[in-house]
Amino acid sequence: MRFLRHLAAAALVVAAVVLLGLAWAHFGASTLVSGVGHQVQQELAAGGTHGPGIYGFGHAELGLGSMLDPANLPVLRHTVVIEIAVIAGVVILDVMRLWARRADRRDWLAQSQYRSEDDADE
Amino acid sequence: VSGSPATSPADTATGIGRRRKVAARVRLDFWFDLVLLLGFTLAYSFGFTGIAIHEWLGLGLGVAFLLHLTLHWDWVIRTTKNLFRPRAHDKLIYAVNLALLLAMTFCIASGILISRVALPYLGIYPLGGAFWTRLHILTAEVTLGLVPVHVALRWRWIVQVARRLLGWRPARRRG
Repeated sequence: MRFLRHLAAAALVVAAVVLLGLAWAHFGASTLVSGVGHQVQQELAAGGTHGPGIYGFGHAELGLGSMLDPANLPVLRHTVVIEIAVIAGVVILDVMRLWARRADRRDWLAQSQYRSEDDADE
Repeated sequence: VSGSPATSPADTATGIGRRRKVAARVRLDFWFDLVLLLGFTLAYSFGFTGIAIHEWLGLGLGVAFLLHLTLHWDWVIRTTKNLFRPRAHDKLIYAVNLALLLAMTFCIASGILISRVALPYLGIYPLGGAFWTRLHILTAEVTLGLVPVHVALRWRWIVQVARRLLGWRPARRRG
């Protein structure tokens, strides 16, 4: 029951975002497609060197053998490389942030210990 | 903690005991999120999969994305409530997740609207159009940038769970 309640809430949020997109398409489509729409359609229709044919663009090749063609592997490799690079970048930044925070904490502890020793001497 | 709490030394030695100690919900989150990441990686690589697999995978990702949001709905509510507190945690994660929600929803919705294989196969012929095509390409690129950030911001949880699930042991200093 709780799961269904959460599912309904999540679906509502997604539906709201979709409505936002529909409103954008209706009222402000020109903000996104001024002059580039035709070019994009042409690019999709061409499908690149190894790309599949697309329904409605003349031929009915579904590209089901694309994954078996080694020539298409660089496309997947490109995606994986981007993902790994971004993950590595964020992890490195986070580790640096943790180190900086630990160093600050060490300094603060050392200073407070130094101060308490001074107070004890006085 | 899921499963039987009693584990034999043999189980522990083989790592089974360690795996049993990982809560079922954590296990589900880990493996489901991994499948989502792999699915997205494949779906984004349009030139690799071909149009048919790209579209069916995209539809599947849409359902999986909704399920992912549902499974983490508690986090959404909790973080939204605490967002405006002065010392609120997770602000960056919240911003990234919100951007990802918008980008991924637009990407999947526009993908459905420009579908040329999956939906026609089901007898539905979407109108498509330059706006949705452009939006699909743009949001796919934004999503490709945000998905790894979304994953990487939880790297400590991922390492921790992977270590427990796969039986990795941290290197211990001797002395």
